[in-house]
Amino acid sequence: MNTIKLYLHSMAILIKSQMQYPVSFLLQTIAQLIMEGGEFLAVLLIVDRFDILGRWMPGDLYFFFGMMSVSFYLTECFGRGVTGNFPMLVRTGQLDTMLLRPRGVLTQVLCSAIDPRRITCIAVGVLALILGSRMSMIQWTVWKVLAFAEALLMSMLLILGLFLIEAVFCIYSVKSVELVNALTYGGRSACQYPVDIYPRPLRAMFTMLAPFAMTLHVPAAWILGKPLYGWPTWTVFVCLLSGLVVFGVVYVLFGHALRHYRSTGS
Amino acid sequence: MNYIEVENLCKSFTVRRKREKGHLFREKTTVQALDHVSFSVRQGELVGYIGPNGAGKSTTVKILSGILTPSSGSVHVGGRVPWTDRKAHAQHIGVVFGQRSQLWWDVPILDSYLLLRDIYRLEENAWKTRLDELTEKLKLGELLRTPLRQLSLGQRMRAELCGSLLHRPELLFLDEPTIGLDAVSKLSLRDFLREENRDHRTTILLTTHDMEDVAALCSRVMVLGHGKLLFDGGLTDLLSRYDRERVIEVSYERETVLSGLPNRCTVTQTGSRYRVVYDPENVSTAWLLEYLQGAGSIRELTAQGQNIDQLIAQMYREMDL
Repeated sequence: MNTIKLYLHSMAILIKSQMQYPVSFLLQTIAQLIMEGGEFLAVLLIVDRFDILGRWMPGDLYFFFGMMSVSFYLTECFGRGVTGNFPMLVRTGQLDTMLLRPRGVLTQVLCSAIDPRRITCIAVGVLALILGSRMSMIQWTVWKVLAFAEALLMSMLLILGLFLIEAVFCIYSVKSVELVNALTYGGRSACQYPVDIYPRPLRAMFTMLAPFAMTLHVPAAWILGKPLYGWPTWTVFVCLLSGLVVFGVVYVLFGHALRHYRSTGS
Repeated sequence: MNYIEVENLCKSFTVRRKREKGHLFREKTTVQALDHVSFSVRQGELVGYIGPNGAGKSTTVKILSGILTPSSGSVHVGGRVPWTDRKAHAQHIGVVFGQRSQLWWDVPILDSYLLLRDIYRLEENAWKTRLDELTEKLKLGELLRTPLRQLSLGQRMRAELCGSLLHRPELLFLDEPTIGLDAVSKLSLRDFLREENRDHRTTILLTTHDMEDVAALCSRVMVLGHGKLLFDGGLTDLLSRYDRERVIEVSYERETVLSGLPNRCTVTQTGSRYRVVYDPENVSTAWLLEYLQGAGSIRELTAQGQNIDQLIAQMYREMDL
């Protein structure tokens, strides 16, 4: 409870400090809209050209895009401390300060940043979801809503976990490791389309290593009434947990890394 | 019962050098930042921790405050092992870095203190009383609504101090707190630290290069060099070991030639002004004064000891640091 209060308090203060520069904030928010709007436009154009991708109808594709967009940018908005510039926290010694305070380090990292500019990206995602839901004529039931909410939550944990891998490397080496971006941003770009349109190696990567297929595509396909690989319904709720698993494993590694933290400067 | 107990503390870092041509792998070297350091500090002591750059002072502070895990050795602070009980430990210590801010940059400092209240889970009343006490002593009252980035260096330092003392820490680490401050700020900061130490029995470990800080505040100094503890005791004891030479500056009414002074004195001349450096152990002061008076009519004469920085520099030289 106390932690949630601290998080909300931190967010309030961070937003207050961002509002110190209102013009910059406004311009950047618009820039975000153009960026994510462009992404969506690209999907619209592709769908318009091919009409059908595998067994997926245009509405299905919008739905996939929307789910990825919403979960990815919600993570970027509220988990900015992890997804943003973690290497900078290490280089500037802010991580030292966090270690000097009687709170969990990850809690403090999450409390250290928020990115409200992403609100426009999330809006584009929501638009895509509504469009997709209408076009594919999804019949919403309680179970589907539940699966949808769980899918968003687990995907957010997965994305946070993947970004945290970079943080782990960074604590060991005090440098940023760009390679991890292949999983995070690469995963976002690739997995806004359903995974079964890809060749086997990519499918394996996004099922095992960065299981977006598990946390997004399995439940989304089930919601659309076209279960992925024809898997039975119960798998939907189990596969989702892979997001929790990835986050859990990386979280343990993160704790381990902190014990080997070398700090910088004097 | 000692408050801080450090035994055989070692910390080594592996440093990877840039790969040289013709070598397949990068060379690794191990740097011993701390080499079997042992000391203990009682509750309420005010200890100066000095040594040249790179001696391992910051590393010690980082281990004692729970940021770093040592390679070997044992550390107990108030009965806790800093790096295993990190959170419990953090509740009882405060740290101020002279070169690094720990408050939030863009918001009024009062907001930072409110956030710290939540971070340290302080009770509203206790927090308020303490804040009032600190704002009065540190003269922060009018600045509470100013964002940190608009404060001058001296004001910022005071704000940082306030932030690190809100939770009434038993132990305060100060890493070069007076760096870059003007004379007035320095003096008032020292007064404040002395009071804090006296009124709340706060144990203070002060890392600094400013020997005047040490002289003004610390009854005890520890000298660290190349990761080893070289001295632990009173500042006067330390200085008396190196404080041997005295300097007499003398100027005459008329051009005067000083000749026949023993070799053990070093004489430098600028115009009609002489500077004589001697060791009272070897050359009698009474004899020297008599000699100088006999040489001509004196317009002005000053006698002084070496300044503290010179002594420390000499000490570092003799300890081969």
